[in-house]
Amino acid sequence: MSKSALQKEKSRTALLFGIPALLFVFLLLGIPILQSIYYSMTKWNGLSTYWIGPSTYIKEFSNPIFWRVMQNNALLLFSVPVAIVVPMGIAFLLNEHVYGWRFFRSVYFLPTAISWVVIGMVSLRFFAQEGLLNDLLKGIGLGFIRTDLLSSERGALAAVAITFIWSMVGTNIMIFLTGMSNLEISLNEAGRLDGANNYQIFRHITLPQLKRFIQFSFVITVISAFTALFSLIFVMTGGGPGFGTTTLEFFVYQSAFAKGDFGTGAMLGLILFVIMAGLGVAQLALTKSKD
Amino acid sequence: MNFKKLVTFISMLVFSLVMLYPFYFMIETSFKSKEQFLGAPGHSLASWRKLTSAMPIWTQLSNSIIVCSGAIIIILLLSTLAGFSLAKTRFRGTPYFFLGIIGAMLIPLHSVIIPAYVNISRLNLLGGYWGAILMYAALGVPFATFLMTSYFRGLPDELIEASIVDGLSFARVFLRIALPLSIPAIATVVVLQFIQIWCDLLVGLLFLQNPANRTLTVGLGALSAGRTTDIPVLMAGSLISALPAIIVYLIFQRQLAAGLTAGIGK
Repeated sequence: MSKSALQKEKSRTALLFGIPALLFVFLLLGIPILQSIYYSMTKWNGLSTYWIGPSTYIKEFSNPIFWRVMQNNALLLFSVPVAIVVPMGIAFLLNEHVYGWRFFRSVYFLPTAISWVVIGMVSLRFFAQEGLLNDLLKGIGLGFIRTDLLSSERGALAAVAITFIWSMVGTNIMIFLTGMSNLEISLNEAGRLDGANNYQIFRHITLPQLKRFIQFSFVITVISAFTALFSLIFVMTGGGPGFGTTTLEFFVYQSAFAKGDFGTGAMLGLILFVIMAGLGVAQLALTKSKD
Repeated sequence: MNFKKLVTFISMLVFSLVMLYPFYFMIETSFKSKEQFLGAPGHSLASWRKLTSAMPIWTQLSNSIIVCSGAIIIILLLSTLAGFSLAKTRFRGTPYFFLGIIGAMLIPLHSVIIPAYVNISRLNLLGGYWGAILMYAALGVPFATFLMTSYFRGLPDELIEASIVDGLSFARVFLRIALPLSIPAIATVVVLQFIQIWCDLLVGLLFLQNPANRTLTVGLGALSAGRTTDIPVLMAGSLISALPAIIVYLIFQRQLAAGLTAGIGK
């Protein structure tokens, strides 16, 4: 075979190799995202859909419940720094390689393998009135505080957020350990020779080297906070009390599958998509501009 | 052991108690009867005995295995082929294809789930396993393809070219050379997808309409949301559902870590 014939055979096969995946993803994710746009402009009465234009958008944007849900999402963002800083600190400790660190690493990663359905069930008992949290408070002499987080709107959101932080710890430790294994130790020595103290070394030598990893863990944590908490909310609070723990993703489910309003559900799903895509583009732009 | 190391060790020990507490709670509670959980003293096997009548645990376990394997087979088939094609050929269309895959990774499940649900119900696939298998596969293919592409890019081009010159077709090179070399990446894809699908609730809840087809996680989710909550029995079920994922995790810890951090790049 001549070289160009070889090349031709190669391209033909390559095309053949790529098409199934492309087609599959296009049919099951690509077309539905386009359909979502159409659905969000229609009314769905169970049998047929009819066009109503952008009125769902207008209706939702003036609906206080919608803004309450957006507020819940915004409040969840406050858990993100905690879900990054705590694992980073633990990763630093692990990186000291003291006795038993491999065992501890395995223990810390363990939640990554556990379904949030299971985590949510345990967490529910932890925060319950007769749960461990109140036992602990009593144990340290703070029995008078006796919490009942799950019965108040803000409290329930806090309980969900704390559980979320707990479950993100493993993933984020993993990310930071990867980052720390790539640190240039020689730079620390050089810094020390120049008279830098521990804080200065951390701030000006270690942190810049970890920047990429902090960014990555930020993105993963925000994506999880906005799109992976369905099971946790479903098991722990069902979105309540009131709309206290209904986030956008849960609102999609509630509107479409509990209330049967597919149009509104599709519209809410699109808003979630726009937020996530915006985040993705921002992340790309940020890494590109800094390189 | 100096003082600083001792403090580090103790803080790690304390923190591991925080991480292990849920497992302790599950095990301890599952060995109580409902009365014992509510305050009566002692432990018993009552809840473990009740488990099989409270939920069809073995059927659900095998459902989980069927759905997981079905989706993972599709994901592997499509992502290895596409990854090899993306990594080792330079078409005009290749960059767009790659961009499409990255773009698909950004689509949250909730943004497509309503039309996907309608489409799949129109195809009459909600009754069996296929609806869920197809959805899990579609959600897994983009990231798996991304992972396989980056892995295949690491294989030297010369190796591929030389084998083609030696008379192997492109397809043979894929099967005989690239695929065996990519076992580590394949293992990463399998472990990551297994844990994701095994632990998922939403897709199963919607796309496995027949309760007899429910996976273990969906079964537990439905049971815990129901009215009769026998917590010790739920905990026994939770343990059974968590065990396979924990075993896979303990064996393939390294692959899981590699997969979770694959998006950072070098």
